[in-house]
Amino acid sequence: MSHAKYNVINTHVHNIDGVAKVTGRATYTFDVTLPGMLYGKILRSPHPHAKIKNIDATAALALPGVKIVVTGKDTLGIKQGIWRRYEELCDEQVLPLEKVRYIGEPVAAVAAVTEEIAEAALDLIEVDYEVLPAVYEPLEAIKKEAPTIHEGVERNVNVTRHIEWGDVDEAFDEADYIREDWFKCSGQAHMCMETRAAMSNFTPDGKLTCWASTQSAYYTQGLLAGVLGLREGDVRVLAPYVGGGFGGKFELDAAMFCSAVMSMKLFKPVKVVFTREEDFIASKRRTPMFYYVRTGIKKDGTFCARESRMFSNGGAYTGMGATALYLSGFFHSFPYKWRGYRYDGYRVYTNTLPSTSMRGFGAPQAMFCSEQQIDWICADLGLDPFEVRRKNGHTEGYEVPGQAFIASCGLKQCIDEIEKWVKAKGELPANRGIGISSCGFMSGGIFNWFDSPYSFSSAVVTINVDGTVELHVGCQDIGQGSNTTMAIIAAETLGVKMEDIRVHSGDTAHCPADLGAWGSRQTLMAGNAVKMACEDAKKQLLEFAYAEMGINIVYDLDIKDRWVHIVARPERGLPYVDLVKKALRAKDGQRIMGRGYYTPHRKGMISPAYSYMMQAVDAEVDPETGKITIHEVMTAHDCGQPINQLGLIGQLEGAASMALGYAYLEDMPMEDGKLMNPNLVDYKVIKAPQMPEAGIIEIDTYEPEGPYGAKEAGEGLTNPTAAALGNAIYNAMGIQMKELPITPERILKALREKKEQEAQK
Amino acid sequence: MINDFHYLKPASLKEALAMYAEHDDCKVICGGQSLLIVMRQGMVTPEYLLDIKHVKELSYIKFEEKDGLRIGAATTHREIEKSDIIEKKYPVLVAMEEKLASIQTRNWGTIGGNIAHADPAGDPGPVLIALNAEIKFGNSSGETTVPLDEFFVDYFETKMEHGDLALEIHVPTPEPKFGCAYQKFNLLDSDMGIVAAAASVTLNADGTCKAARIVLGNAGPIPLRVTKAEDLLKGKKLDDALFAEAGKIASEDCEPVADIHASEEHRRHVLGVLTKRMLKKAFEQAQKAA
Amino acid sequence: MEKQKLSFKVNNDEYEVYIHPKTLLVEVIRDHLGFTGTKRGCETVSCGACTVNVNGASVKSCSVLAIQCEGMEVTTVEGLEKNGKLSPIQKSFLDHGSYQCGFCTPGMLMSASAFIAEAKDPTKDQIKESIEGNVCRCTGYNSIVRAIEAVTQGKYKEE
Repeated sequence: MSHAKYNVINTHVHNIDGVAKVTGRATYTFDVTLPGMLYGKILRSPHPHAKIKNIDATAALALPGVKIVVTGKDTLGIKQGIWRRYEELCDEQVLPLEKVRYIGEPVAAVAAVTEEIAEAALDLIEVDYEVLPAVYEPLEAIKKEAPTIHEGVERNVNVTRHIEWGDVDEAFDEADYIREDWFKCSGQAHMCMETRAAMSNFTPDGKLTCWASTQSAYYTQGLLAGVLGLREGDVRVLAPYVGGGFGGKFELDAAMFCSAVMSMKLFKPVKVVFTREEDFIASKRRTPMFYYVRTGIKKDGTFCARESRMFSNGGAYTGMGATALYLSGFFHSFPYKWRGYRYDGYRVYTNTLPSTSMRGFGAPQAMFCSEQQIDWICADLGLDPFEVRRKNGHTEGYEVPGQAFIASCGLKQCIDEIEKWVKAKGELPANRGIGISSCGFMSGGIFNWFDSPYSFSSAVVTINVDGTVELHVGCQDIGQGSNTTMAIIAAETLGVKMEDIRVHSGDTAHCPADLGAWGSRQTLMAGNAVKMACEDAKKQLLEFAYAEMGINIVYDLDIKDRWVHIVARPERGLPYVDLVKKALRAKDGQRIMGRGYYTPHRKGMISPAYSYMMQAVDAEVDPETGKITIHEVMTAHDCGQPINQLGLIGQLEGAASMALGYAYLEDMPMEDGKLMNPNLVDYKVIKAPQMPEAGIIEIDTYEPEGPYGAKEAGEGLTNPTAAALGNAIYNAMGIQMKELPITPERILKALREKKEQEAQK
Repeated sequence: MINDFHYLKPASLKEALAMYAEHDDCKVICGGQSLLIVMRQGMVTPEYLLDIKHVKELSYIKFEEKDGLRIGAATTHREIEKSDIIEKKYPVLVAMEEKLASIQTRNWGTIGGNIAHADPAGDPGPVLIALNAEIKFGNSSGETTVPLDEFFVDYFETKMEHGDLALEIHVPTPEPKFGCAYQKFNLLDSDMGIVAAAASVTLNADGTCKAARIVLGNAGPIPLRVTKAEDLLKGKKLDDALFAEAGKIASEDCEPVADIHASEEHRRHVLGVLTKRMLKKAFEQAQKAA
Repeated sequence: MEKQKLSFKVNNDEYEVYIHPKTLLVEVIRDHLGFTGTKRGCETVSCGACTVNVNGASVKSCSVLAIQCEGMEVTTVEGLEKNGKLSPIQKSFLDHGSYQCGFCTPGMLMSASAFIAEAKDPTKDQIKESIEGNVCRCTGYNSIVRAIEAVTQGKYKEE
């Protein structure tokens, strides 16, 4: 489908923060300094589970240069959580009063005149612990005899989630073939280049300003106000430039909390920056999951039913885990039509680092299991994996029973394109294979567990006398380029040029509230708000244009490229800047200001819109060492109307690198609750030489709910990759990889087992 | 945080040796690419730090056909990697350097520092031993030269004692019909090897094996010679079966330690594979060599 | 412990600072001189965010004692532009969208610029190896590789 030709949308535009970022001018929270500032450091628990009996800071306080030591007792002791609506899920005291539940949990914080003194002071704080029995794996923690991690929480079950539609048992009865498998999906560190960082400055007028590396300035504001006993309006959160987020930076973290608590007591700015090690052991992580998957299918490849049980390692606290639990189960059904579907998810507390949302939000784990099992079923039954996916895939107008309505869907075209691509590759050498995987993802969540009284996204646009535009948005640029995307939408809507737009974001004092950067929500939600605000402003301008131009009111007026004109006769018009000047005069000098917002209504249980994609991974295995080489990744992708061309390519390639890392490199092994690789030497992320070409085929669809037809791009692309790699290895070597990451050792083990099985036959 | 220290900056080698002899609690820094990490972790806290990075007498690459290659200890990895003569005469050294950490590290880190640090996972050790290299070190009262093969004593420990500075690596001119290859096994190309193997083969005029060296990296406390496998090859006409047999011996005669990156079993297995492959590669080079 | 004088050039300007010998180059650049373009992302010389060029060669400034740079010329990301004109690699990064969060970008640019200065017709693999010491969590590197490639192919000229 071809749509209106756009002047700015989907053209090659530079990121509007680009010059700041390539010249070193971009100032991150990490870079913020203030006169008289102090440096904060956090003392962390060496025990996975222990009662805090006493904390003695006398020696630390005696160290010259130390200004304060705070513990849980110096705080209001409020249990907080981002699921603010649900008290039982607000289970985390950032500085706990009674006990610690994972290694690395904060127990005290110090502020001193230098970082070095603060660090030295940590060694002088004496904590008396009573060590408690601990449990680390969900399938252990759920047992009756397991130690209790949170008082009153039976069997350590933090949250459960049941999803069901259709008559599942009947649908299974209709199946000709049923297959069941167990899978184990690992955790993953967000590993943002900028570690968690915050600078808090509380002043005698009772106002707190906090610079924070956050994905949502508004959430940080609300959460900080809540735990500090302040009014939200007295807390100003600034998130100038943010060095990555990936789902790990929208909860309250210890850098924010401890810096704020100490600043409030000292009336001085206090800055806390996590070391890389702290970021590994005591931020949060992608949720490790155990999946049981049972799938019923007819001989002709028609899907009948699926039933899944999932046990996730929740770690010590809820975080965003409750959402990941739901979304994993929902996207585990994607992107297919099931007559009967049942999912039971159990999020289990353990004495490990809490798990939470991370790019893909539970879906990469779900897809690793689902998309591999589908390929194995196809092999078991001699079916074509492309055909089976086409046959059962979502289509436009489909309703996921009781869950979601699919208004736009390019899945079939994605499958067609990838099939062509795979076939064009032809015969591959030995030990090399291509695997495919398809999936979909949401364009923002419609849930409001944060209990925000504000619309989900808001924007305010103001036009200056020279035609330049001030765009105030609450959506948060964390590197994904939302400021640029919003500027593109604004420039397109107002009919001006990119350089006319200045985006203001990341400041709760000046920008309207917005839930922030998570769940792939901003392009659709904030984009709609920006479009609405700009349409509002443009309408006001055009009202003056009708009067100024003296034209028949039945004509349509529009602005493109700073030229206000009659749509039917584009040569008749006047310069946009002239119109702005006149409009100001006519309005008694009031600036033209437009307002826009977005709040989802009647959009099912999950999201207003869904992206679709199919990915192929071409990989090779060294059969003697088990080492994997990734040759190429190709993705066909339906994100509706692309808005930000360069940004989209960047999101795709970035997602591929992160998801490949999840598939075969990144792991968070623990021994007795202790993370064994809390540094970038032992934690492996993809570097340039390992990164394959990752091409993209854009499938053109139009999403009616999205601004200019746009929907999600970037997060969902993390979902298919691990499964596609697994399928590539299956096709190359005939082995089924049921555990992440797919390491050389696991490959060799599987090859040995395969050999043994063949020998037995 | 790094503990405070007194910084010693000698103007010459002589002064460096004198300063080192004079100060008991003294560590030597050259590029510092390994040292500063452990100092930041507070694991090494010397009272004095002797900086030999800018001692010009220690920075050189010299080659003479008769004598072979001489590399000053303070020569950076990058200088070795970029040396035309080394590329021509000892391509395995350049190939090894290209995969040693990152360009940044190779720009500042030095060959002497790497060898003196004596990390069994270090790349230069196995390759240089396979090339029959020797090392010269010295103190204020004299110099010693030992085969590199005998230089390493234990994890992070060498024959050098307090007051000794690494001075020079000497690599003899390759014999005719010589080949040498090195590969490490890791997940990311430039990482330290989970395990590694270097092999060199010299052939007689009749094509039989005159000499072979097999040196394993990160397979024990020091770069490990697999002499039993070397002896197996000597005098024989080499073929795949012999390489496989040598690989098997290597996987048996090593002492790798398990960690999160690989089990002991996997390490042994891969050491065998790498040994087999590097022998074959070295053999093929030797066949082609003049 | 007494401070010692360090005289060196940063971005073409002479500086004299008094530092403890243990001070790392990155600390002098960021904390003493205020060039906060240079970032830090780890404690293990792994991430490359702190990459600067010393006498034209890229180094990780967290792995270098500042005192070792006596008399040397250091270039940071702030030194790449000249009188407000961006250098070829900076322009190429803009055109290729070779950054997202931007935190690795200064270090990436320094690795790239040192490589470009000495590279002759590099292969794609050599370009990839040139930034092997720099971690980027956002872009997947390919846009960075394209940007470097474009400069080495002469598509961008110094203004």
